[in-house]
Amino acid sequence: MTQTTPEPGVDTGVGSRRSRVGAAGKVRGQLRHVADRPHGGCAHVAVHRSTRPHARITSVDVSEAAALDGVEAVVTGAALYKVLGDRMFTGPAFSDQPPLAVDRVRYVGEPVVAVLARDVATAREAAELVYVEYEDLEPIYDVADALAERAFVHDALRPSVVFGDLRHLSGKTETNIAYEYNLKLGDPESAATQGTSVGFEFWAPPVHHVAIELPATIGWVDADRLELYSTTQTPSYVRQSVADMLGLPLSHVRIRVAPLGGSFGAKMYDRLEPLIAALAWLYRREVRMVASREEAFLLTTRHGAGVISSMSADADGNLTSATADVRYDTGAYADVGPRITAKSGMIAAGPYKIPNVAIRSRCIYTNKPSAGPFRGFGVPQVTWSHETLIDELARARGEDPAAFRRRNLLREGDESYMGTVMHSADFVGCLDAVTEAIGWDTPLDRGSGRWRRGRGVAVGIKAVLTPTVANAVLQLNQDGSATLMISTVDMGQGSDTIMPQIVAEVLSMDAERIRVVAVDTDVTPYDTITAGSRSTYHTGNAVRGVAERMRERLLDLAAKRAGGSSKDLKLTADGVLNTASGEVYRVSELIHEHFGARGATMTEEFNYTTSWQPYDKETGRSAKATEHWFAGAVAVQLLVDRWTGRARVEHLAVAGDVGRAINPALVEQQLAGSAIMGLGHALFDELVFDQGQMLNGTLLDYQLPSVKDLPGKLTPIIIESPHASGPFGAKGVGETGIIPIAPAVANAVRDAVGVRITRLPLSPERVLQAMDEAGVEK
Amino acid sequence: MKLIQLTVNGRRYDLPVDDDELLLDVLRDKIGAYSVREGCGVGACGACTVLVGGISVSSCLARAVRYDGAELTTADGLPEDDAVVTAFVESRAMQCGYCIPGFVLMAHELLAENPQPDREQIVAHLEGNICRCGTYQEICRAVEVAAERRERA
Repeated sequence: MTQTTPEPGVDTGVGSRRSRVGAAGKVRGQLRHVADRPHGGCAHVAVHRSTRPHARITSVDVSEAAALDGVEAVVTGAALYKVLGDRMFTGPAFSDQPPLAVDRVRYVGEPVVAVLARDVATAREAAELVYVEYEDLEPIYDVADALAERAFVHDALRPSVVFGDLRHLSGKTETNIAYEYNLKLGDPESAATQGTSVGFEFWAPPVHHVAIELPATIGWVDADRLELYSTTQTPSYVRQSVADMLGLPLSHVRIRVAPLGGSFGAKMYDRLEPLIAALAWLYRREVRMVASREEAFLLTTRHGAGVISSMSADADGNLTSATADVRYDTGAYADVGPRITAKSGMIAAGPYKIPNVAIRSRCIYTNKPSAGPFRGFGVPQVTWSHETLIDELARARGEDPAAFRRRNLLREGDESYMGTVMHSADFVGCLDAVTEAIGWDTPLDRGSGRWRRGRGVAVGIKAVLTPTVANAVLQLNQDGSATLMISTVDMGQGSDTIMPQIVAEVLSMDAERIRVVAVDTDVTPYDTITAGSRSTYHTGNAVRGVAERMRERLLDLAAKRAGGSSKDLKLTADGVLNTASGEVYRVSELIHEHFGARGATMTEEFNYTTSWQPYDKETGRSAKATEHWFAGAVAVQLLVDRWTGRARVEHLAVAGDVGRAINPALVEQQLAGSAIMGLGHALFDELVFDQGQMLNGTLLDYQLPSVKDLPGKLTPIIIESPHASGPFGAKGVGETGIIPIAPAVANAVRDAVGVRITRLPLSPERVLQAMDEAGVEK
Repeated sequence: MKLIQLTVNGRRYDLPVDDDELLLDVLRDKIGAYSVREGCGVGACGACTVLVGGISVSSCLARAVRYDGAELTTADGLPEDDAVVTAFVESRAMQCGYCIPGFVLMAHELLAENPQPDREQIVAHLEGNICRCGTYQEICRAVEVAAERRERA
């Protein structure tokens, strides 16, 4: 383990604390976002939404809406189906979601009819004038309803081609289980009969991303091509999805993206894009939709998840077994739920050495808005379970929770229960760093009067999405500046800042001379997704690879100039140095000389693709389930107000093993920022549903962490155990910090007032109630 | 339709507006002041903040007709060497940056009425603005740095 000490960057290469690209423009609000595109003359789209959780559509009356002054067109799902047929159903795992409901609605708020009008107000007014009649079907409000199998959200499952391992589900009927993953190792049942065991039923509620920039998509037809300008983290996916839907070659679909005003998983896969693409294509018209905040709440959510789980240890304090039954509520449409179910289910017993493990993880349809990816990709929900269990198991044994974890944590070279060997995942280093930061081993003043003080810790593990594909194209300009083409979307994580640092390091350049172009699928090459903290490693490797090719090319040009071999040549900040003669060939001269033109460009490309070994059909294990691991830990010291049940965080330390920090300042911001988002999930964030109706989908009702929720002290800590094949050892960090926050907070509340709460969030009411039930003195 | 006059960042505009048109939409669609942004539509996130005569207003709740004759400041109109902008840049007080212009204007309002705020006063003043990236530490620091600079200047 190496802990970095921040030092001011002397250059702009790998490891420098270079300022964020466009910082001043961001502060002044001069960075342009998708919705800033001028919209004179375009048609604005609004949708009429379902008022029923589950119903057949018996009639749709659009006459009043169509007659409203300023309305250009009113489109039903049935009308779209006539043109597009089954192609209008899209999704990353299942082709189950239509842009407008056809025949049947599956959640309250589902789009049923779209209106095109001259302005937003008219479009929204007309959408209110649509009248739909329904014949109610039995609604499935939650996972328990779904598993009772009295009714089904979908008549038949229709996997899309993205997941090869879902093919066997094609056409399956009479089930609400979109996907099931099982892991079996050893014999957990008999192992649990010896030593100490704990078991609980957990619940992590659905929550929302609430990226402050609202989702926006603008579409138009340019001659025979469809163009979209859209807020998406997945431009390459959207291009394929829209091309499939409209039956167009990829060459005839262009997706452009501006930097996003946050996303956290909200702006991925099929959001507004299929509807806007269909309307632009059918009406040959520039159409535009910017979701209202209330609509954004309905576009996607984070999976509510229940976990029934247990953990056991022997008399020596070694873990012997763990079980977990995980149920992800994926809502009416699977979105990427199946992948979440497998990727997060497989590590539901945590980052520990456990010889006997049984995990069942299910992705379950209900009649609610679709749940999809959210920073952490389903892992925070299972971490809530395993980090509570291990804490309680330590207490049951009378052992320090940090020491108990330390003994059982996976270490470099260990094969985990799910079959993959650990590398560059320093859980122990993260745990040591956060406990040291908050003074874990120092005496604790337990507080007085209404206040009680406690400390808690938690560790997190997550696999990176594997396999995936990244590409980079680098254009070296004759003046020595460079243009980098990648399809990674900068949404605040800082990819536009760090990717040039990688190029700068390889080419001995100043990163300020390297510009990342805005994503445009006409120009920037395929990249799986900007998500799952995968870009630093994957796209970063493509970027390093392309820069290395460019260096070879420059050395070749210099060798020609030097009259033969390149063995004495070295690329430096001044140009190519001939170490034999002492001559320096400037890059601008080499390119100018080679092409005989000023302003010429020299281009290279590089692909980086990772592979995996699919889960074993019998055991669910895999010798290579993932390209690499994320490892993190959080320690918290807090006060609980015994009169109100409110927790106040005094110090939060969050550590992440990033392999190598390309830009330590940006890594710290990711760790600190995810900690603050995670504090919301721990203490108050929650989407509330009643009979399928979202009750708090506005920012008047949905609480988010504000500056008031900042802990008294917040310490982000970078741990670096370099990854053998990461670019300069680096891995991503976008999700690492958020994963262990909620259990760390709950473990501290347990330490402070002695109550164990297994349902999130730890609202004051819930803490007070738990204290009442436990008879804690107030 | 009514003709109103707005002075935005020192420049005068005569604008025809509908009775129910929001100040937010007028600023964005008619003047191109894209630093003023919608985040919630209910005055709960602060992304649409503008200063009207130095006082912060949520432009997503404000009807434009009521601001006839008003003098407005938006973040993109602040001077090149603005102490708050500079402090935000140097303190790395931004990630995605979408909400930051709102915070910058709130900081201006605070420093105008209280040139040396303590941390508690800064937190109280910025409480209504949401930074979903969680850049609050840096934002608070930036306001402190700006206050120090303005005092020295």
